[in-house]
Amino acid sequence: MKANLVRRYLQKELNGWWIISMVGAGIILLPILFVFFELFQAPNENWFQVRDYLLQTYLFNTVTLLLLTGLFTAILGVTLAWLTTAYQFPLRNFFRWGLMLPLAIPPYIAAYTYRTMFSYTGVVQTTLRYEFGVQVDPEVISVSSLRGAVFIFTLFLFPYVYLITKAFLENQSSSYIETARLLGRKPFDVFLKIVLPLSRPAVVGGVALVVFEVLSDYGVTSYFGIHTITTAIFQTWFGMYDVDTAMRLAAWLMVILVGMVVVERLLRQRQRYHLSSKSKPLTPMKLRGVKAVAALSYCALVFGLGFAIPLLQLLSWAGLTFEKVWDLSFFILLKQTISVAAVSSALIIILAVVVANISRSKNVFSYFLSKIITAGYSIPGAIIAIGVLAVFIELDGKLAPVYASLGWGEAPLILSMSLFMLIVGYTIRFMATGFNAIEVGFEKVGTKYLEAARMLGNGRTMAFFKVDLPLIKGALLSGFILTFVEITKELPLVLLLRPFNFETLATKAFQYAKDEMIHEAAIPSLMIIAISSLSVVLFYFIEKRVKQ
Amino acid sequence: MKVLEVEGLTFSFQRGEEPILSDVSFSIKKGEIVGVLGQSGSGKSTLLRLISGLEIPWGGSISVAGKPVVNQRLFVQPEKRGIGMVFQDYALFPHMNVRDNILFGLNKMSRAERKNRLNEMLELVQMTDFAKRFPHELSGGQQQRIALARALAPKPEVLLMDEPFSNLDADLKASIRSELRSILKAAGMTCMMVTHDRKDVDAICDRSFSLSEDSAARKVHMQSL
Ligand SMILES: Nc1ncnc2c1ncn2[C@@H]1O[C@H](COP(=O)(O)OP(=O)(O)OP(=O)(O)O)[C@@H](O)[C@H]1O
Ligand SMILES: [Mg+2]
Repeated sequence: MKANLVRRYLQKELNGWWIISMVGAGIILLPILFVFFELFQAPNENWFQVRDYLLQTYLFNTVTLLLLTGLFTAILGVTLAWLTTAYQFPLRNFFRWGLMLPLAIPPYIAAYTYRTMFSYTGVVQTTLRYEFGVQVDPEVISVSSLRGAVFIFTLFLFPYVYLITKAFLENQSSSYIETARLLGRKPFDVFLKIVLPLSRPAVVGGVALVVFEVLSDYGVTSYFGIHTITTAIFQTWFGMYDVDTAMRLAAWLMVILVGMVVVERLLRQRQRYHLSSKSKPLTPMKLRGVKAVAALSYCALVFGLGFAIPLLQLLSWAGLTFEKVWDLSFFILLKQTISVAAVSSALIIILAVVVANISRSKNVFSYFLSKIITAGYSIPGAIIAIGVLAVFIELDGKLAPVYASLGWGEAPLILSMSLFMLIVGYTIRFMATGFNAIEVGFEKVGTKYLEAARMLGNGRTMAFFKVDLPLIKGALLSGFILTFVEITKELPLVLLLRPFNFETLATKAFQYAKDEMIHEAAIPSLMIIAISSLSVVLFYFIEKRVKQ
Repeated sequence: MKVLEVEGLTFSFQRGEEPILSDVSFSIKKGEIVGVLGQSGSGKSTLLRLISGLEIPWGGSISVAGKPVVNQRLFVQPEKRGIGMVFQDYALFPHMNVRDNILFGLNKMSRAERKNRLNEMLELVQMTDFAKRFPHELSGGQQQRIALARALAPKPEVLLMDEPFSNLDADLKASIRSELRSILKAAGMTCMMVTHDRKDVDAICDRSFSLSEDSAARKVHMQSL
């Protein structure tokens, strides 16, 4: 009886889509589980060293960075979101978009730009010396510190909070805010009593993204010489060739991460307001005089520090090194970066479409499947990298007899030396970006066209290609662009998983910077920034479309 | 001959919930137009989704043209059941024009056959001049006729219609009701339509029954007109 029901259910639901999804979920889950199970293995000598002498510092630095950055991005993000949605002041429309642009500059690029600008020979100190005759204490002005890292992360990651909060305020809050205004509350009161509490889920969501980025960071912290768990993973891996200890550190990082996710859930608890999506947008109030100038200056300051100044500095350096860097090898670099990002994004989008498509029939299995498939977004690149590496080495071991029979020598490392490993790493890390975009697309289309197509004699797959695919084209494209951008910006994963001598724009820029060839780093960095700006442009066009 | 046979159909969306449909049985003969009456939320759309294979029942069985399509051991995919459906909101594919919408279900025919069938259908619903239009360029009544033509084109064994008039203006309803009956009869179609409006049933159907809300078990009461 039971067995019959199950069989009947499988007749309805089991198909190629499910099988591909299960395989995809397996590939994503396996490396993560590998890292997790390291916690239960017997540790080696080195680990006790690391644990007794270093772990405390690593933990302290990591947590301090997270807390401070989280706090400051929240402040910056919420105030700017409120200012640009609720008020009308000069250049407001420009800043509404411009304030997203800092996201186009990866923090590690900002880090070496700012450090060089503030160095003894950099533009800030030389100007002070020669124009004003001021000598400053290098300790005070140096950005190579925990303080400096917080400054960089805050300036270049706050748009996550800004974006989510702005979307929330613009679309969902108008009736409450207008009611409060009509009840005679002063604007500042409205902000404190209505806006802040209402937008808490949005802010927490944005800060969570910031926290995941900071946890994942290797570029800024290693460049500034701050020891965090992520930099320690790199050190034990590349410095000591001790993958076991690196993996154990990754497992600990994962424990922090689970803690963070729990905190996020607690902060959001019962706060997922379901506001009507049809609520009309908030009408901004006009600011005049001093207030308008103050609002303008605040936005301009953040925009300047977070985008214009580093961009101008990079452009001027690029001018100095153009002849030297802009040659054939640079085009090869560009081609490599674009092709690996394009292949990975395509893979992500295909898998995302398959999983999102079966997640349209809501049940327990599809729920868990979508959770597994998107797990990577919250897991730092270094953890994913180390898990993927462990799995690939294991695979190479298992495949050794096959290699031998093909005459490729005794136990060679084929898979774990290939580009395939990097692509798998990217897929795990950025699956969620593609998946979310496509899920939104499917939600907009709904299931009625699919059902109509099936009633007209088309199987699931035919119906998908003929009806759903043309209708979610836009979502496919935006999913592709967003993942492409993320992959181009990504640093830790590619540093750890790239094959020997394989360079991308990100690794090259970072390498130049580490070798103190800051000026040479400018052109690859600018290229990354140009590609990343695509996602801001995309948001702009999507909003314009929606408004029409 | 019985074209559609439903036996002891039971369904709920969640395990352990009180069933939305419980022990529903009826059958429809070839060429009949049968109406199912029920208030909003009584499970009319659900009944159609079960017959068409978009949902799977907890218990009971359904046969179409003598062949079982679902029972305790078997489930036939919707596209293999030979059932046509006109959805409550028509679900015309927005990215295809009228012609392509109607041709959509005819992919198994030869080119010439498809063309013939298309013209036949357009004539049947008197929309020949609108073949190039897109769904959003049609009025509600026109959209409904296209949805009907699209569902009839592959010659299904049974046509299911979900509230065919719910999206139409009151004065349009009266004229379209009689028109619909003559289209269905001209096509010789076996049809089951669900509605909350007794007037629809009186104007179009040969007989009807109701999914009653009041009895706890929601038994089906057969009523001949
Ligand atoms: N996906 C779903 N999950 C849970 N319950 C559902 C779902 N869809 C419908 N229901 C419930 O099942 C019952 C029957 O719904 P159904 O759509 O079949 O009603 P209906 O008779 O077609 O109503 P209407 O005349 O408004 O179209 C309703 O009480 C509804 O709330
Ligand atoms: Mg209904």
